[in-house]
Amino acid sequence: MKVLEAHNITKRFPGVVALDSVDIAFEPGKIHAVIGENGAGKSTLIKCLTGVYEPEEGDVYINGKDATKDRLLFDRVAYVPQEIDLFGHMSVAENLFIPYEKSGIQGTINQRKLQNMAVPILEKFRIPVKPDALVKDISVSAQQLLQIARACSHTDYQVLMLDEPTTSLTTKDTEILFDIIAEIKKDNKAIIFISHKLEEIFQLSDEITVFRNGKKVAYSPTEEVDIRWVIRQMTGKELDQSQVFYSDRVSDEVLLEVKDFTGDQFTDVSFELRKGEILGFTGLVGAGRSELMQGILGALPVIKGSARMEGEDWKLGDTNFAVNHGFIYLPEERKKQGILPVLSIKANISISSLDELMNGFSISAKKEEELAEKTIRTYDIKTPDSDKEIQFLSGGNQQKVIIGRAMSCNPKVLVFDEPTKGIDVGTKTEIYRLMKELAEKEEIGIIMISSEMDEVLKCSNRIIAMYEGRKVGEFPHGTDKETLLSAIIGISN
Amino acid sequence: MSEEKTTGKQNALVNALTKSNMTAMGVVLIILILIASVASPYFLDIYNLQSVVRDLAFVGMIGIAQSLLLLVGELDLSVGKIASLCGILSGIMMVHWGWNSWLSLIIALALGLVFGCINGLIITKLRLNSMVATIGMQGVYGGINLVLTKGKAITGVPENIQFLGKGAIGPIPYPFIFCVLVLIAVLFLVKKTKTGRYIYAIGNSREAAKILGIKVDKIRVMIYSLVGLISALAGVLYVARLGSAQSAIGENWPMNSIAASVIGGVALTGGIGNPAGALIGAAVISIIQNMIVLFGVNVYWQSAVSGLVTVAAISFSSISAIVREKRQRKVKLG
Repeated sequence: MKVLEAHNITKRFPGVVALDSVDIAFEPGKIHAVIGENGAGKSTLIKCLTGVYEPEEGDVYINGKDATKDRLLFDRVAYVPQEIDLFGHMSVAENLFIPYEKSGIQGTINQRKLQNMAVPILEKFRIPVKPDALVKDISVSAQQLLQIARACSHTDYQVLMLDEPTTSLTTKDTEILFDIIAEIKKDNKAIIFISHKLEEIFQLSDEITVFRNGKKVAYSPTEEVDIRWVIRQMTGKELDQSQVFYSDRVSDEVLLEVKDFTGDQFTDVSFELRKGEILGFTGLVGAGRSELMQGILGALPVIKGSARMEGEDWKLGDTNFAVNHGFIYLPEERKKQGILPVLSIKANISISSLDELMNGFSISAKKEEELAEKTIRTYDIKTPDSDKEIQFLSGGNQQKVIIGRAMSCNPKVLVFDEPTKGIDVGTKTEIYRLMKELAEKEEIGIIMISSEMDEVLKCSNRIIAMYEGRKVGEFPHGTDKETLLSAIIGISN
Repeated sequence: MSEEKTTGKQNALVNALTKSNMTAMGVVLIILILIASVASPYFLDIYNLQSVVRDLAFVGMIGIAQSLLLLVGELDLSVGKIASLCGILSGIMMVHWGWNSWLSLIIALALGLVFGCINGLIITKLRLNSMVATIGMQGVYGGINLVLTKGKAITGVPENIQFLGKGAIGPIPYPFIFCVLVLIAVLFLVKKTKTGRYIYAIGNSREAAKILGIKVDKIRVMIYSLVGLISALAGVLYVARLGSAQSAIGENWPMNSIAASVIGGVALTGGIGNPAGALIGAAVISIIQNMIVLFGVNVYWQSAVSGLVTVAAISFSSISAIVREKRQRKVKLG
């Protein structure tokens, strides 16, 4: 018995076939992992299965009935998006039951009753917050779990669709989430699990479907295949998982020297960065790594401490100075802090190097176009043309635009904050290779902030671990994972 | 095959209309002009046209300025009061103190720049919301107005500058020429210069702009100053038009300038739109008001009718978008 089925669906956008004759079916009591590189068609599939898009060809059946004719059936599919979309200034309980009609609440809203109703759900999902707390004040992990709890507390759902639910979860919360998913599975619900983290997929799923370039390229029960098979199917080629990407040309010259940096969320941090080096910063979410870098950039206040770039004194609190003196920060929150969403790819690339594009008093359209074309070619950005709004690119391609933009303004230090968040294996490797190349050929210093242990170990020449705003250790490459892990959870030596 | 072709053509038309609100409103404007000229024999009368164009020049100028602020996601409700204050200050200099009238106008413009700059500094340094801060500031500027004039108009503005408001080059009134000059300057700023790009970047995401090293606050202050300057220009031109300086000048300009910008496709949320749209929006508003007078609508009904037609006009572009969506669905089912 299939609960959700897509028959031969095709969805086109101007210039691309996003989904090409896809057949897929989901069974109750099974966890079905859907994977593919960015732009492989996963998001479009989700939107077709939740009724947001109507496919041009093919049908979606829910409980054997055609859902394009009876759209109410789409209520049976509970979808948890990748990004948090809760109401920050409303209470946990209110967030849990909105929209009230779907949760079976009629008439006026009684806050106390809502809160009483919320308690057992919060317990079931092991969310350690009070029902009357405001969502903006609870941790990101708790918010993520709350989103899932919300999707499940609506009546009558039969399919639970989780889109990269673990990107902002700590290891401990990920385990909690997996326990909860296992319980939901026992309730005979169909679970669709979308993730880039292959280990998780093998830990959790019963079956795997792989997408590539809008086509379904492979399906298998999970126990019959391994990670290498998945990667081969996703990328169309073999990928060496044991490859390392640290720089081979670290010079002795110190590029950036940070001394006793203290701010709101970092305390007495000192470190040095050399030319051609990739320096990894690891730690838990909230360890103060991003804040430290934003302090150097000048976007966040620094109470105490000083910095020197190539021996010259560094000015604090002025992002314009920092950028003009070669310190470029590529933010973790790509959508909020990185891209300029409704501007074209071209305008997003050129914004940092307008000085070189001037023709007298005005920007030369020709030079701008040339720069955009060159960047698109150099960084292999997949887009039909440079006039497309950047918000319509996939995450990996947006990241490449941002890297290309950073490189066009002659950086000395590049800070990559979680550079592969939400990015698939194939593109991840591309970005690692790019970092290595930039460090070696352009002689810049790279700081990579990452919470993924494997990534830090693969790419860094040196690793600095942070815990609760303090630097708790510095390790050479080749350090074993256990040492690093104990450092970031605050156990010294 | 042939059927496909016609749908293709129709789609191209619908696409062109719905591409941006500005082009859609351009079409609305042309339709309005056609209706007005067919329905009323007086619309195309040169005297009537001149008066419409003279009117829209003022709302247009302020609208163009306002659209700059809307592009960074902010707005200024004190534009009208800055305009009347600068007009009155120029009147005091010219009439009461007997200063050279050209010098007085230039000083008044400079003061407009200063008032705008004050708005900008208050809003950026104290991190205030632009709407609330400028509601406060319009009270301040309006209050100074009343203190200076005690509510009385300053009459006897020198003849030698009155042509700036009353005169015309050939059939084209001077205020409209200034309006077009302002538009050209603003379009150059927005489309061709680095600052223009930074304006759009800030409107897209202030955080991202800051991380990119853009001097966000400096640019915001600069826009507020520019808005103050353009408001002052509109104010002194209006004084020249009336031949007297009054504190009632610019009463409707804040709301009309925002309406004109939004009608012309500039988004309230920032980062989207073209200042030229504000001029189209201003023309739509002015022509609607003119038609109401020409058609002899009862005085008491005028405001309601003009409001209704304005809402109908902005609905045009969103309705055409809805139609396009429906059509696409139908194509799929058929």
